[in-house]
Amino acid sequence: MVTARTLVVTGFGLNCDKETAYAVEQAGSKVDLKHLNELFANPKMLREYQNLINGGGFSWGDDHGAGQIYAGRFIRKAGDELYKFIEDGGLVANICNGCQSATTMGIVPALGGDYKTPSVSFTANDCRNFRDQWVMLEVDPESPCVFTKGMDYIPLPVRHAEGKFYTDQDTLKEIQDKHLAVMRYVHWNTKERANGEQFINPNGSLDDIAGICDETGRIFGLMPHPEAFHSAVNHPNYTRIKDQLENVGMEMPTEGMGLKIFKNMVEYHK
Amino acid sequence: MQITDEFLRLEKTTIPEVGDPLGQQLMDRAKTYFGYELDDVKTYSVITVDKTMSEMAMGLIQDNFVNPVTEISSFEPLLKKAETEFDYVIHAHWGAGVRDNPGATALEDLLDMTPEAQGASVFSSKIYAIKGGVSKEDVEKLAAEMLTNDIVEGFEVYTREEWDDNVGIGRNTPFVTLNKEPQLDVIPLEDLTDEFLQKYSDERNLALHPQDIPIIRAYFHRDDVRAERRELSLSEGPTDIELEQIAQGRSDHCEHNTFKGIFTVIDKDTGEIVIHDNLFKKYIELPTIELAEARGGVPSLLWDNAGVDFFGPDHLYAITGETHNSPSNMEAYGGAITGIVGIYRDPMGTGLGFDMFMGAFGFCTADPEKIYQYQAKLNARRLLDGVIDGVKDGGNKSGIPTPFGNILFNDGYQGKALVFVTALGISEREIDGVPQELKTIHPGDYAIMCGGRVGKDGIHGVTAASEERTEGTPKGHVQIGDPYTQKKMQDFLIEAKKEGLIRFITDNGGGGLSSSCGETARQINSNGTSGLEVDIDKVPTKYDGLDHWEKWVSESQERMTVAVEPSKFDRFMELSKKHAVESTMIGNYNENGAMKITSGGKPIAYIRGELFKEAFPQWKFEGEWSSPEMRGLTEPVLKAPEDLGALLHKMLGRPNICSKEYIHRLYDHEVQGGKVIGPLVGTGENGVPNDMPSDAVVFQPVLGKKTGLVFTQALIPQYYGIDAGHMTAATIDEAVRNVIAVGADLKQLGGVDNFCWPSVQYHPENNPDGKFKAAQLTRTCETMKGACEAYGIPLLSGKDSMYVDGMNTDPETGLQKRISAPGTLQFTVSTPIEDVSKVVTSDAKEAGNLIYMIGTTKDERGGSEYFEMAESIGLNVPKTDYVANMKVYRKVVEATQGGYVKTSKNIKRGGLGVHLAIMAGGGNLGVDIDLSDVRTDKEHANDVIMFSESTGRMLFEVAPHHKAQFERIMGDSAYHIGNFTQQDYQVTGVNGKLAVDEGIMGLKRSFKKPNEDKCYVRGP
Repeated sequence: MVTARTLVVTGFGLNCDKETAYAVEQAGSKVDLKHLNELFANPKMLREYQNLINGGGFSWGDDHGAGQIYAGRFIRKAGDELYKFIEDGGLVANICNGCQSATTMGIVPALGGDYKTPSVSFTANDCRNFRDQWVMLEVDPESPCVFTKGMDYIPLPVRHAEGKFYTDQDTLKEIQDKHLAVMRYVHWNTKERANGEQFINPNGSLDDIAGICDETGRIFGLMPHPEAFHSAVNHPNYTRIKDQLENVGMEMPTEGMGLKIFKNMVEYHK
Repeated sequence: MQITDEFLRLEKTTIPEVGDPLGQQLMDRAKTYFGYELDDVKTYSVITVDKTMSEMAMGLIQDNFVNPVTEISSFEPLLKKAETEFDYVIHAHWGAGVRDNPGATALEDLLDMTPEAQGASVFSSKIYAIKGGVSKEDVEKLAAEMLTNDIVEGFEVYTREEWDDNVGIGRNTPFVTLNKEPQLDVIPLEDLTDEFLQKYSDERNLALHPQDIPIIRAYFHRDDVRAERRELSLSEGPTDIELEQIAQGRSDHCEHNTFKGIFTVIDKDTGEIVIHDNLFKKYIELPTIELAEARGGVPSLLWDNAGVDFFGPDHLYAITGETHNSPSNMEAYGGAITGIVGIYRDPMGTGLGFDMFMGAFGFCTADPEKIYQYQAKLNARRLLDGVIDGVKDGGNKSGIPTPFGNILFNDGYQGKALVFVTALGISEREIDGVPQELKTIHPGDYAIMCGGRVGKDGIHGVTAASEERTEGTPKGHVQIGDPYTQKKMQDFLIEAKKEGLIRFITDNGGGGLSSSCGETARQINSNGTSGLEVDIDKVPTKYDGLDHWEKWVSESQERMTVAVEPSKFDRFMELSKKHAVESTMIGNYNENGAMKITSGGKPIAYIRGELFKEAFPQWKFEGEWSSPEMRGLTEPVLKAPEDLGALLHKMLGRPNICSKEYIHRLYDHEVQGGKVIGPLVGTGENGVPNDMPSDAVVFQPVLGKKTGLVFTQALIPQYYGIDAGHMTAATIDEAVRNVIAVGADLKQLGGVDNFCWPSVQYHPENNPDGKFKAAQLTRTCETMKGACEAYGIPLLSGKDSMYVDGMNTDPETGLQKRISAPGTLQFTVSTPIEDVSKVVTSDAKEAGNLIYMIGTTKDERGGSEYFEMAESIGLNVPKTDYVANMKVYRKVVEATQGGYVKTSKNIKRGGLGVHLAIMAGGGNLGVDIDLSDVRTDKEHANDVIMFSESTGRMLFEVAPHHKAQFERIMGDSAYHIGNFTQQDYQVTGVNGKLAVDEGIMGLKRSFKKPNEDKCYVRGP
């Protein structure tokens, strides 16, 4: 059995690299944290990895649109190797700023296997500002996404100013039909779809979409942060849940639910 | 630099289907600020390059800067009369030489994209097309007072008629063109008199203190100094750069001369005179050293950029806090972002470098809902919005959570608003056997400047902070922080430190190189010597033509000065390159005992370190105290209705009590994955968890370890008007209760004191109550010492800002009035917690659980929120018995750590009624309590018990099955006052009748409603 190797990139204003690497390690993968310039100087290093994570942050300050410069720079410097990495069966998780970049690169949703043409975007929130809150997400059980296998609902934090999923109606329909909308915002208790309701859907995303994947399910882009729920204590109502469990004689788990996404990533290669 | 007429201008905007959130936000603010109802605003982002390029390069630019799904773009003006309905156009752009972050990132990427970008400059700007029934004057007001600030930005307004579809905004390239050779001004020694120095100081805004001037004059007249200068071929008299260096080194901001002064205070009630010689030494330094020793030592205190305390067995944490008031009052966004980004360089420059894991903020402004007759440069709403945004971008883009902050409104902050910033960093205790809290320069080490380049930005920021705000305050000191550049530098320096490449590091904040190099030149080297020689010509600049002294004192941000041993220089530079950070060797450390600066190989400055060790005379202050009774303060006459429901609703909605959720939601508190308790707790409403404020936050800076760090801050300047001593005691007591409320123990508390005080120098016309302010300051310091000793809090760090006064103007008459802020002490308490899985929050858990309380309620409503609501101050300010409180707090810790406390809530501003509502509201639960069960010193009316702000009080939720254990530990210190219920907030009064009967959700509405519209904005 081969232990998967994961590359987490950082630098140029990315800032979720440490907890992402930590979560990936907890999930059982070997992980290397590399500066983007190291990858750009030697794009072939991608061949040593099974998984790549474009994580959260403010790449190039997001001064020209979230992930905009990142996307262009990555493709210019390491595009060919990235396409090869995808073709060879690698997994790519694109979280928050990484997700904004990946959609701008076009590697997700990559309809019809076209990994070079952007078709969707995560754009400025309807609430017109950055927002930090926890959301409840429903996972599409029919999605091909390998990262969400065996999951139904998961609470995660969102922290972004540009997370509103946008595309044209035809593209949206294709995404829906192919079950590429992996995650949607739902009501916390009833688990009903948000239907655009403000702050159940935190940013005004079309069809409440929080995460998407390509048709192979190996390229995943999501705005919420699974790496920020690596431990049970990260949960926004940790003390309350712990109390409720103790009242019925149960013990609080120590692990956060966000790890499951990275465990699926590791599991895939086994 | 060759400037040609050629340029490229790329404009972009969102497609109609996506909407225009920035335009929508502008419409909202136009309505809030000025009452303008605009019909539509369309925004366009512009980048202008000062040269033309090939079609191919232009295509690349469009591909890389424009989102193909949501945006359209053009190198021609996008806004056309035929296509868009609009009445006016505003073009808003940066002023010459002001930090333009989008312009800088655009250039960075252009250079990577195409060799054609070599030598180019890039500028960003924004176009707003406005439709609406407003006049051109109105639009100019919008542009001048909302969209731009003349200190850092400029604008042009076009009417529809004036707009030319083909020309658009034309060419926007606000270059700095100085067109001169660097100058060096030499003062002939024979001219160097005290009068001359005073005049020179006034003209150049050096803010030299009159008492310092004779010492500086005498230094240059000394025979040995003159001989030495002759030998060096340096002018006999001082050069401008030398006087700048001395002024920066002696400014109150750097030297805390006020706190080190002599205060002679007379108590007018008793006639007693007390002399306080050096407040810093007596009330801060000595007690802190003793307290540190009492708990077995603290790694690093009182000398470095931040204080350092232990964090578990293998780590250290660094903490410091400061204010950024003067710049924020001139340009709120720029001041605040520079402040938060700047404070992050302090832990980075502590020991061998700490990695940031948390920041905090504090905003004290005038009431944004009020119209004031005497106005400052920025009104309170605009100022508050600006500082909120500044901390948002500065914190979020640095990748550091900003989970805690107090927001406080008071009329006294009309003259000068306060912006507090705090930073916490983490480090391994040792790396390869090298302790990380220590640092030593070796003679021969290179002096390296890392980060941004220098420009005219921020010149004389430090000295401006040492003065009151007047019309003449130099505008050049305001700047825009650049978190992106700093984040890259932080990543670089932490990697360099882990490889052991750093010998010494400190930040270039206030005073720029003059401060960091001046400080390191005097730093004692490994062999007991000191000294530094810098080649000023090597300092990289943003543009040509800066004078030497300007390079030396420029506060251009995002720079650190690092000492590196020569053998590690190459590796250091290699890492710098990898992280895309500019680093430049500018000098060498030596054994000469002086700070020497050269240009073109010739010396232009030479100052012996001993000048700064000279016995500069202590500043002297007179104080005059009289008790609140003698000052004529009395209690107001109030009669509360039998039903206190409406009063409770009103209290919950008051500006200083109500929810500030909208601000916390703007700040990332999850990044780095360490959040355990954030700023908000509770079940929440409408499917969004967490809507009630927490007393303290808990973070895990080292993932995988159980240890966490508990952090809180308190400030209660409302008590200042009665007695700053009791204010201080109440503030520190509140902070201690905040940390034990989340489960911390009392073994390793650390404190940070941040003073913001009005000027204490008496002047019969300009500051006639200066003696009282001075006496209030000494009372604060004395009390702080007593409280810190009682609670065992060494002061890890602290700063003071001594001139929070302003001259405001009545625009109708031109009459100016001096407005002084209340003396304000922000007190921070932080402490490690062994196991974060055992934390407690303040949101009630379950109906049927018991409510216990500690502390005695007295009629202490002086300075309270309740009296403030009744437009009174009162007399009976809360008095704090630390020793008695501490005994009870120890029991609270034991009960909490035993697991017998489900929920714990501090009772602070607003009193029992307010904080019980916040606690119950966190669980959407009701309460049923009886005021006759609340312990009081004597019989009190219901409103006294509900709204008194007596200190030492807390609330606890205890499950019935833990009752016996809880009571056994607490003894008679805690008493049962009622229970949590399903949904009604019911309070039985002392007369046995219902005093409050309200639904909890209704009370929550009152708490959340005042700021709800700022949180719940409907999108396009």
